[in-house]
Amino acid sequence: MLAFIVRRVIAAFGILLAGTFIAYVLVALSGDPLQRLREDNSPGREERIASMTERLDLDTPVPLRYVKWLGGASQCVLPFLGKCDLGQSVRGQDVSSLLGNAMTSTLQLITVATITAAIIGVMVGIITALRQYSRLDYTATLASFLFVSLPLFWFAVLLKQYIAIDLNDWLADPAVSLPTAAIVGVVSGLVWASIIGGDRRRVWTSFAGAFVVSAGGLLVLAETGWFRSPGLGPIVVAVVGLAAAVGLTALLAGFRYRNVLYAALATAVAGIVANLALDSVLFNPSWGVLFLLLLLAVGIAVGIGYAIGGMQRRQAITTSVWVTIVMGTTIVADRMLTAWDNYFEFVDGRVIATFGSETPNYDGGTWGNLLDTVTHLALPTVALILVSVATYSRYTRASMLEVMNQDYVRTARSKGLTDRTVVVRHALRNGLIPITTLMAFDLAGLIGGAVITETVFGWQGMGFMFVDALRNVDPNPAMAFFLVTGIVAVLFNMLADIAYAYLDPRIRLG
Amino acid sequence: MTQPNQPSQPSSDDPFVDHRSMGAAGPDPLGLAEAAAGQVSSADRAHLGQLGTSAVGTEELLRVDNLSVDFPTDDGVVHAVRGVSYSLRSGEVLGIVGESGSGKSVSSMAVMGLLPRSARINGSISFRGESVLDMPPAVQRSLRGRKIAMIFQDPMTAMNPVHTVGDQLAEAVLSHELMPKRKAMARAEEALAMVGIPQPKQRLRNYPHEFSGGMRQRAMIAMAIINDPDVIIADEPTTALDVTVQAQILEKLVEVKDAIGAAIVLITHDLGVVAGMTHRVLVMYAGRAVEVGETDDIFYRTRMPYTAGLLGSIPGLDSESDGRLRPIHGSPPSLINLPSGCPFSPRCPLASELCRQEEPDLMATDVMGHVAACHHWQRLAEADDPTAFFRTESEVSK
Amino acid sequence: MSTPVDPRPVASAEAEGMAIVARTQAQLVRRRFFRHRLAMASLVVFMAVLLLSFSATGIGPIPGWWKHDYTTVATVVDGGRPTLSVVPTFLGGDGVHLGEHPFGQDNKGIDYFALTMRGTQISVMIAFIVGTLGSFIGVLIGAAAGFFRGWTETILMRFTDIIIIMPLLAICAVIANQAGNAGPFWLAVVISLFTWTGLARIVRGEFLSLREKEFVEAARAAGTPAWRIIRKHILPNTLGVILVSATLSLAGAVILETSLSFLGFGVKPPDTSLGRLISDYQSAFVTRPWLFIWPGVFIVTIALTVNFIGDGLRDAFDPRQNKVRS
Repeated sequence: MLAFIVRRVIAAFGILLAGTFIAYVLVALSGDPLQRLREDNSPGREERIASMTERLDLDTPVPLRYVKWLGGASQCVLPFLGKCDLGQSVRGQDVSSLLGNAMTSTLQLITVATITAAIIGVMVGIITALRQYSRLDYTATLASFLFVSLPLFWFAVLLKQYIAIDLNDWLADPAVSLPTAAIVGVVSGLVWASIIGGDRRRVWTSFAGAFVVSAGGLLVLAETGWFRSPGLGPIVVAVVGLAAAVGLTALLAGFRYRNVLYAALATAVAGIVANLALDSVLFNPSWGVLFLLLLLAVGIAVGIGYAIGGMQRRQAITTSVWVTIVMGTTIVADRMLTAWDNYFEFVDGRVIATFGSETPNYDGGTWGNLLDTVTHLALPTVALILVSVATYSRYTRASMLEVMNQDYVRTARSKGLTDRTVVVRHALRNGLIPITTLMAFDLAGLIGGAVITETVFGWQGMGFMFVDALRNVDPNPAMAFFLVTGIVAVLFNMLADIAYAYLDPRIRLG
Repeated sequence: MTQPNQPSQPSSDDPFVDHRSMGAAGPDPLGLAEAAAGQVSSADRAHLGQLGTSAVGTEELLRVDNLSVDFPTDDGVVHAVRGVSYSLRSGEVLGIVGESGSGKSVSSMAVMGLLPRSARINGSISFRGESVLDMPPAVQRSLRGRKIAMIFQDPMTAMNPVHTVGDQLAEAVLSHELMPKRKAMARAEEALAMVGIPQPKQRLRNYPHEFSGGMRQRAMIAMAIINDPDVIIADEPTTALDVTVQAQILEKLVEVKDAIGAAIVLITHDLGVVAGMTHRVLVMYAGRAVEVGETDDIFYRTRMPYTAGLLGSIPGLDSESDGRLRPIHGSPPSLINLPSGCPFSPRCPLASELCRQEEPDLMATDVMGHVAACHHWQRLAEADDPTAFFRTESEVSK
Repeated sequence: MSTPVDPRPVASAEAEGMAIVARTQAQLVRRRFFRHRLAMASLVVFMAVLLLSFSATGIGPIPGWWKHDYTTVATVVDGGRPTLSVVPTFLGGDGVHLGEHPFGQDNKGIDYFALTMRGTQISVMIAFIVGTLGSFIGVLIGAAAGFFRGWTETILMRFTDIIIIMPLLAICAVIANQAGNAGPFWLAVVISLFTWTGLARIVRGEFLSLREKEFVEAARAAGTPAWRIIRKHILPNTLGVILVSATLSLAGAVILETSLSFLGFGVKPPDTSLGRLISDYQSAFVTRPWLFIWPGVFIVTIALTVNFIGDGLRDAFDPRQNKVRS
């Protein structure tokens, strides 16, 4: 295994070197930074040309310039070597400091987009594979074709100009009309009925249930003024926690052996109590404290699972940890929404942001700032993930269908395993292995998408920096972009390879 | 596991030795009467073949009546199984023989409840008198792997590559009985030892790809017997293996069957496998049973030309033909558009106008408890060597 | 489960020789494709879009049938509002007619239908060149790597890895920025220098598995030269994969080119393309949204129909459908 990783790392380094070299040459050839100065006839032209030549090292031949650039850049990648030096921009700024800020917001966008896309895409893929040729399957297929065919820049502008404005107008005066509630109810009913499936009676029951819950819930929420000042409160947290305990037990272990359910419920209760007991701590915690709390919560969940799990200890631990994660997310959302009123006022009711990655001069504490980030991420993320969601769902579906037809799934069923066990332990585990590779590949696409998304939504990220650099014939910032994306791509391909080898025991020796 | 680590029981009920000598003993008068009546209702056909096998138990474990399975496809409905009936008694080994596509696998998948949802199943399947098809899914599931277990053809693909052999074996136990993982692993170790895998404790931690083909098939057998099932369905268990390994696996299968007292349905296209192992044989063609009888009778008193053709295709089984092969020409019919009349008639050397118009039902023959679906079984009965009908032209001209 | 057997006798089909098998295979594929309703509908729509765009403004010296030119500046009528109406009078609309400027006019009074049609022409043309040239390079590299193996394979595949780690859009932007000045054709050529990587990997994979097949071994044993083995024995068997991939890459190329043009690195004035139009009139969005909507609708239509056609081809070549390719 170690030799395998070492070999991969060496190969990755080589690829990165060659990749940056090609990019460097192409960027150098893509335009002459002095062009504009030469056309300029104002006095002092010669000095400016000279200083620019000096600053960008234009007298050195390109390959040699690359080696010099690499010398500086390598200090950014390898720690403890010295000061990171990515050259200067045409305006004389240090590129490494420019990159620092830009990278944070872009990586934030990409990380959120990747995780969201993976969760949605894989879930849709699994459901459509299990409900092959259902109406839901056809709808998802058509939608994924549409998503792949939508030009990102066009869709992003539409989102920004229509959805954001409408949504903000609606949030300013959140009323839900009966027809709207009915439409939402019908859509939700159709989706749930397709997902749950079964015979005619069950389909109608699930349709009716989903319709009542969605449409009714929407009306009740609007009527009680929830949208005006949204929040969850400890009761919703408690309900979500208990529901997660039951649901996750059904999904991961089944109810045949009660101890798993008991462990999950105990974890949920512990979470509810902790939420109330830690009220003052959670009022405005630092990120470090939150992280420690999360670790503690996971530790407690493992302990509960271990203590109560009995014969199904492992399932109990897994289920408890998942319950903790769901509850933690709910509690964070709950706390984040406490900042809503304050934030709403600060941004004059235009909650869904369409420009930049944060509201200037806003400081609402941990939760307020989190809310600010979320509202700024919402639209760019939606725009960015469409293609990825489509790709993941199609790929997962195909992969799951292929696996479900394998002999070993038949063997698993012949052993008398429940459908749940067959799907979760045998099909899913094998079906999701190729997705790791796909996600690594898709990252490059997401970065490309980020270039467009940042341009449309005015994010001061790496993509924005790159486009700006290209327009101004500014080689060093453009190269910084390629360096970061190259490292990310190579790193994730490597991780995917290692994950693949880890998940598929047949490759381990190779 | 009744007797771990212990080799097969004494030869008293070893099918290789015993059942032939007892083959002709005490026929069931009721079955005989029905047989003599010629045409029999499909529900009772299966009984005719199993008369007098006193080596096997008397309890009827599995009974399949007039089973048919259809698959709707883009090109039309595939009639994979068209009215098959048989029964299986405790301790019995029943061979189901046929070419690929004859419906032998599909019928046993129907018994296991493993057919895809699109399959249309008719007829009845009962296990210990209870109708399997009418059971709620949960009850049907509790039967699978615990009472009726299955061994599949290709051991290379039948095991999940990402789980250890031990986990996959233990899972079979845990899905029916609650117990700590440790105990299930101990059961798995026992089962591996029983099928003759050396160092079973270490082997539990191996992944399937670290096993050889033969070892994997042994592990599959271990997986099938781990819950002491009453019936084992073995679907071409040796087809994908080397010839030398085949014999070992079959021997092991019989050995463990005797150890746990299970009955076996052995599905194969290889009459050679059937010859050594089974009490009775059911020959299938184009989704139907075309000949059912004692193993000896099938081999030495063949009453259906298709069976004769199969026998002629085995190298060196009978000396009279100088070891010359006598193949069946042509290929099995499309299960979407079956030919009218007997489905074997296009390939049959005995086919007459009657055969092309009317599909024969299983009917009693001159041999007791031996039924065949052929209008002309008498001609086979009169012939010295039934395979001679399939002589090639070169052989005839000689 | 032993699935029902193929009714066709396999042995005799093989005995009849490759030519006949190949033809029946092609017939099968064609039949399956034509049965794919969505793909057929998409083909019709795509052809209609092509016909409309190329006939309306003409190709090169041949004039089109549309009365306006895409360069002629005119007075802006009614704020440049579109005159196209599709709601019949009996439904309370203005009746079905095109009017003077069906898609409206831009701020200089140029007829927007003419502009959109010209943009469609350029975008489709670039997409075609990228689709075919990129696929050609991909097949060439993948085939060489998969067939010759050894050092050739190592070098070519490492090269592919290197290209793949650079975000396609970004690297294309770098070179298209210059190439765009040389006109749409060269822009297309340059883009296709970077779009071949996916197909190269796929073709290599196909070649690797095909070269181990018995019929290739037999050909090699008979002393058939390498290029002939590739041409006669391996390529025909990978045709489906290549065709499907090329079609899908055409749809990708439409999106890629319009994205580049949107960022300002693709098609440069005086030429226009659908992406360029959206980029140019983005700021006019609030006042005259049609200038933004129409080119987008055409991009989506082209990309969607081409994707459906590709899907239909895939189903036709590989009816199992659930195959996973990496």
